[in-house]
Amino acid sequence: MRLEPYLAYAKKSFLTRSAYRFDHLMGIVNILLRVFIYWEIYRTLYGGRTEVDGISMMMVTTNFVLSICMDAVFRVDDFFIPNKIRDGSIANELLRPINIQGRMVAENLGNALFELIFRFVPALLVSVLFVGVMKPASSIMFVLFVVSALLGYGVLWTISLVTQMLSFWLLNVWSIVTIKNVFINVLSGSMIPLWFMPEWMNGVIRFTPFSSIYFTPVQIYMGRLSYDEILSQCLIQIFWIVIVYAFGNFLWLKGQKKLVVQGG
Amino acid sequence: MSEFIEVENVSKTFKVSRRPAGIPGMIANLFAPKYEKKEAVKEVSFQIGQGEMLGFIGPNGAGKSTMIKMLSGILCPDKGSIRVGEFLPYRQRKKYVGNIGVVFGQKSQLQWDLPVQDSYELLRAIYAIPEDTYQKNLNQFIDMLNMGAFINQPVRQLSLGQRMRADIVASLLHSPKIVFFDEPTIGVDVVGKQVIRDFIKELNRKEQVTMIFTTHDMQDIEKTCERLIIIDQGSKMYDGSLQGIREKYGTTRQLDVEFNFECEIAPFHHVKVQPLKEEGHIKKRFIYEQGQVHINELMNHLLTHYSIRDINITEPDIDELICKIYGGEV
Repeated sequence: MRLEPYLAYAKKSFLTRSAYRFDHLMGIVNILLRVFIYWEIYRTLYGGRTEVDGISMMMVTTNFVLSICMDAVFRVDDFFIPNKIRDGSIANELLRPINIQGRMVAENLGNALFELIFRFVPALLVSVLFVGVMKPASSIMFVLFVVSALLGYGVLWTISLVTQMLSFWLLNVWSIVTIKNVFINVLSGSMIPLWFMPEWMNGVIRFTPFSSIYFTPVQIYMGRLSYDEILSQCLIQIFWIVIVYAFGNFLWLKGQKKLVVQGG
Repeated sequence: MSEFIEVENVSKTFKVSRRPAGIPGMIANLFAPKYEKKEAVKEVSFQIGQGEMLGFIGPNGAGKSTMIKMLSGILCPDKGSIRVGEFLPYRQRKKYVGNIGVVFGQKSQLQWDLPVQDSYELLRAIYAIPEDTYQKNLNQFIDMLNMGAFINQPVRQLSLGQRMRADIVASLLHSPKIVFFDEPTIGVDVVGKQVIRDFIKELNRKEQVTMIFTTHDMQDIEKTCERLIIIDQGSKMYDGSLQGIREKYGTTRQLDVEFNFECEIAPFHHVKVQPLKEEGHIKKRFIYEQGQVHINELMNHLLTHYSIRDINITEPDIDELICKIYGGEV
């Protein structure tokens, strides 16, 4: 496989991001706002206590700051395929001698790189200075955190792929995408750390891919998992990527057969 | 000329939602959606030789675009077979599309937010175009299509005519052997259309690129294609030259005569007479079929019996003929 086209797509989406400077500034403001809102909420909930259920305010803060910053980097355009099917420009995509999913990954990564440099880093710096975030447990844990975060991104991406592919049949997937995002927000532990979930709820979440997106990497970052647990959690992440991707790809192959190019 | 593209008995059916209008219709549709099968292309066959220039015409919804999309490998035909060169377009899509170029007049393939040049750079990477070919093609096209002034502008700031030219170049950078144009002059002004037509013709002449058009503008066809295929309601109605249409369907002639004085015209066999209303002139139109009436007899008759100021014979406009073929009158 030639890599050049995909690098070019990544570069293009990186450049496209920089086309709107005001939007970019507002993006940073958006992340910081979310961080401060969460901080205020949890400060009120803790009401001056240092610990609730053995979980310190610092841990909670670290969880949501990392989750929110990762969320900013984990860019997936949920409407990439749906929009192209809706307005018919999917035709142009099918006319390129390249792998469309590869192209989607490339564009998302180009975007993610932009977000990493221009949003993740500044937002994290501000959070560290004003809110306070735990340091990584060790440098090895930090490296494992990065690996696990990449896998988490893979899980997020494949889930998005499945919802996008449904647009071959549904044309409008807005509601499904919204439901998906609510599930991710609530069940991935980014909004409410999974430590606080009732036992039965955690039992259910364990059988969904959502917790492996943000919560697994954050747990590794804080050094709350043993090496054995890290290995098994990463394997679970890979398992989800393979299963969900296989389903998404199945829909993709089926969908192309019944494609109707809209508008002329 | 070798047969380069072979299409045999191709059919394609779409499921179309039939939703009654209004809120009751919406509710009914929610519980029992109704679908109708629409045959967009019915048993169409034809062959195209290498280096040929062919126009597809037909009314809106006739199945032209569907045909183009099947030829370019985007859509899968339900029945029949399509072969282009050594490829089966739909089956071998990824390998095949590297050899073709497609211009959709209504769908830009350029990157909306980036300068035209950046979109081209992206295409160079996608098609792995060698640097020297890329430069040669690009310089030649920019020159021929007068694009120097806006090559560095973001696409969203281009006028429609500029965007269309930029889009055409985008689909030609990788030196495709076949180019499909789906309404390449739609919404472009007269001068712009002429530039695009000249460019397309020149390219076909110089590089022997096979070109297939769809259009509603008969002038596009008249000025570029030697051959045209007319499609209506999914079926092939005509396949041949433009001249052939004139010979086959364009035998009606109109003779417009201006008289010096008001007069009653005596009936002439096989000739229809219509008064023409024009302020200050006394004009009548004589309509006849070439095979049925000898023009010299008719003229003789008119010149000897009436006082005539002016005479004008016209053959039917190609648009009128096409209208007749669409309407199934011929």
